Amino acid sequence: MNVPATKEPPLVAPRPGRGAAALSITALLVTAALNWQHLAWWCLPLLVLASALHYRAMVRGQALPGTPARLGLALILTAGVLASFRTLNGLAAGATLLAAMTAAKLFEARAIRDWYVIVGATLFLLLAACLDRQQLWRLPLYAFSLWLSVAALRGLGGGAPQPAPTLLRESARQLLYALPLAIVLFLFFPRLPGAFWSLSGDDSAITGLADQMSPGSIARLTESDEPALRARFEGALPPVQERYWRGPVLHDFDGFSWRRHRGEPAAPDAVKYRGTVYRYSLTLEPNSHRTVVALELADPAGAPLAQFTDDFQLISRRPLTQPQGFELESYPHAQRGGELSPEARRIDLDLPEDRNPRSRELALRLRAGATDDAAFVARVLNYLRDGGFVYTLTPQRLGRDSVDDLLFRTREGFCGHYASAFVDLMRAGQVPSRVVTGYLGGVWNPIGGYLLVRQADAHAWAEVWLTGRGWVRADPTAMVAPDRLSRELLQFGGGAAGSGFQLGAASHWITTLLQSWDALNAWWQDDVVGFNFARQLNLADWLGFGDRDWQTLAVALGSGMAAWLLWIAWSLRRITRPGRPDALARAWRRIDRRLRRAGHPRSPQEGVLDYCERLAATHPAAAAALAPLARRYALLRYGPPAAEADAEAELRGFRRAARRLRLPRAAR
Amino acid sequence: MYAALRDRITTRVAAWARRRQGPDEPPLTLRARRLYILPTGPGLSFALLLFVMLIAGLNYTNSLALLLTFMLAAFVLVGMYECQRTLNGLELVLAQAADCHAGGEGVVELRFLNRSAQGRHALAVRCPGARASHFDLDPGAQISVQLPFQALQRGRQRIERLELASTAPFGLFRCWTWLHLPLEAIVYPQPLGTRPLPRGGESRSSRESRAGSPAEEEWTSLRHYQPGDSPRSIAWKAWARGAPLMVAQYQGTGGSEHQLSFAGLEGLELEARLSQLCAWVQECARFDAACSLALPGLDLPLGQGAAHRTRLLRALALYGSGAA
Repeated sequence: MNVPATKEPPLVAPRPGRGAAALSITALLVTAALNWQHLAWWCLPLLVLASALHYRAMVRGQALPGTPARLGLALILTAGVLASFRTLNGLAAGATLLAAMTAAKLFEARAIRDWYVIVGATLFLLLAACLDRQQLWRLPLYAFSLWLSVAALRGLGGGAPQPAPTLLRESARQLLYALPLAIVLFLFFPRLPGAFWSLSGDDSAITGLADQMSPGSIARLTESDEPALRARFEGALPPVQERYWRGPVLHDFDGFSWRRHRGEPAAPDAVKYRGTVYRYSLTLEPNSHRTVVALELADPAGAPLAQFTDDFQLISRRPLTQPQGFELESYPHAQRGGELSPEARRIDLDLPEDRNPRSRELALRLRAGATDDAAFVARVLNYLRDGGFVYTLTPQRLGRDSVDDLLFRTREGFCGHYASAFVDLMRAGQVPSRVVTGYLGGVWNPIGGYLLVRQADAHAWAEVWLTGRGWVRADPTAMVAPDRLSRELLQFGGGAAGSGFQLGAASHWITTLLQSWDALNAWWQDDVVGFNFARQLNLADWLGFGDRDWQTLAVALGSGMAAWLLWIAWSLRRITRPGRPDALARAWRRIDRRLRRAGHPRSPQEGVLDYCERLAATHPAAAAALAPLARRYALLRYGPPAAEADAEAELRGFRRAARRLRLPRAAR
Repeated sequence: MYAALRDRITTRVAAWARRRQGPDEPPLTLRARRLYILPTGPGLSFALLLFVMLIAGLNYTNSLALLLTFMLAAFVLVGMYECQRTLNGLELVLAQAADCHAGGEGVVELRFLNRSAQGRHALAVRCPGARASHFDLDPGAQISVQLPFQALQRGRQRIERLELASTAPFGLFRCWTWLHLPLEAIVYPQPLGTRPLPRGGESRSSRESRAGSPAEEEWTSLRHYQPGDSPRSIAWKAWARGAPLMVAQYQGTGGSEHQLSFAGLEGLELEARLSQLCAWVQECARFDAACSLALPGLDLPLGQGAAHRTRLLRALALYGSGAA
């Protein structure tokens, strides 16, 4: 009779094994640690505490806290996140909230469902880490975290609890199987050309050029070997003296600090592009100021998502939180600017009235002896060259009248000091001028085939308006320290105040090693992290089937997946194939061989006892000889399971009996 | 409403699978053709998680996030294959159902053999509506699984369909198959009844003197309680000390003879009579007493021992069903 279906109990095991729980917690801690840079400070200690308490409760079999305590905890944690970030929005706040709630979940992790939630949260934290940082050196850490998480997931599948090493081994094998499909999906799964929406306020706290410059407040400039940008040139590299990479332009001066002024979009004829042109693809590291730092002076056509301002900055419309690629053309000899509007003139002549009086005096004195603006510029530059100024990265601090202090008291500083002083003098002499920040230089990496510009190459120079010539670059630092300009460096690390190796020819291999590492990083940034819709289409093109469109990608994706499915089915089938037959089957196989030789073959699907019956009808003698063995076989195979030692003895006895079997020959 | 719909769908699907697969006969090897697989609840949640990750990766054009998502998706797909592989190639070498009493729990014994070089995990098998039995199989191992089923009515009970499933390795997918084995359990009547055991003509005088109730001190061995055992024979003292429910077995009562007769039970319904007879047979077996059974149209002579008892109980079970 058929029993009506009722609500059936679940087939999943109610609780994970110790190994799975330990793996889940380890994965959670490792993944949270990978998010340390944007989690609230209290988050990691909280997770460690929660894990320790959970472990204690697990070992001692203590009860976990009840519902009111957990609800209260959740409220306190939410308040904590709000106190730390003032919002629950954004990657950092979201990741902190998630980590905190997972810590709370640890207090109540009992059923398998709770552990699924914990592993899911861990994977989400890993996603947050991936969204936040993509450096190559983090890749193994991310992979490690993924490995732990999926091993934990494996422990939740039910069945007898498996120890952690088994889970790790099995999931490592499984990850290797998964890798080819992941690569196929990565290459061919259609990407989006742009974003649906974006998180706001996420472009903070990234080192690089700043929105403002206060050279007087810096007592020690630490050089950072972090890359700022990489450029692959088609054809020749620009000469060293033309490697000015233009960043934020600073207009507003209060006597001490320089700040940006909101620039208007440039008029279409603001720049006459002429002379030598350099074509290059630029990979820009993330920065906080949204400026596409390009070789002077870039044609904005290569950066359609950026606005070209009237002070010739390329300002990205989106935050530059990810490394981004641009195809650019730059004209170092372009004529910059046709007309200077009265408003622009006012902005770039503005000086605080009551600051730096001695400098103003000096400027007026120098101005008096100059026939025109160009001569005045030359006189000021000469003054800086011959005035006994010193270039240093560890200058003294400057007072409120920073330019006076620099020119008449300390007489030492770096590019920011001299650019600041120079522009102050220019403006006092009624020449419109402004400070340009950016990078100067760049090191050729022969392994990667690109020019690398590091944060340590950060530089500040000036631009002055000369009637008839437009904006002209003037680099006062070059007057003070000519070798700053010509520092053609093959080595990494400037060897100045910061980190860095002072590398001679003897340590050539270190150079090579570092260059290889940087080239690998560049490849990672350009071709993996920077892989996008455009490159997908290029790839489809390169593969050579169809047009550059979605259909081509779909075909590639489909065939890749099909190939993978076949491969995986084949590999797993190989594993499923029967192993060696067991000892009992092997023993019976010998009997089968002898039966065949004796002329009584047994068909493969025929049961042993059935066969005996069939044999008895035709060859009773043979059947009689075989019957005891067949019964013994059936008992061993299908009878009640015996203890291991007994089973061994039974099997030995069966083999002995099988050897003694004498079969009468079949009648011919 | 929802439950009714679900039941209807379940019945339809079961009928479809039965038609599709045909009857099964052990020994049999499970092949891919008869394996079904669907995501579980956690599996659907995980799919949602992956979808959110995909959207995040696409939205921020973040390659690393996408790589992570694709890696996880591929990983789960491998898991799906692995889940199917847990059942694929598994051999069922034996299936049998033991006799049981109506209203109680019967037991089906299944024996599985794993010939492959890989272990098979998180397997579960159950009769419809009953508890599942969980098991794991090491490479090359053989296992005997007992699964309970609800014995409803006296007579023959066909167990049309068993469900064998696995959620390995993640619990995100559940692969299952239905086994339509020729399993038939003989369900004895429920051992119920208050009437005293009738004494045969040859009853012993020694037993008479004991006034029906054996003293607890005189038992010679104990065995576990079974439904239908007389409360009088339970070792209550041992139970009070924390031991499981045991039944005292007595020497000395053996040798008595009882004629159990259907006709002698006037005033009872058919099933109640059979239940009473069943209880008596149990009691006789417990005291190792000989008994005979007289049913309308069937007389089983005096006998003793387990085989005799089974014969009697089966006769009771199948009484009225035509095939005795």
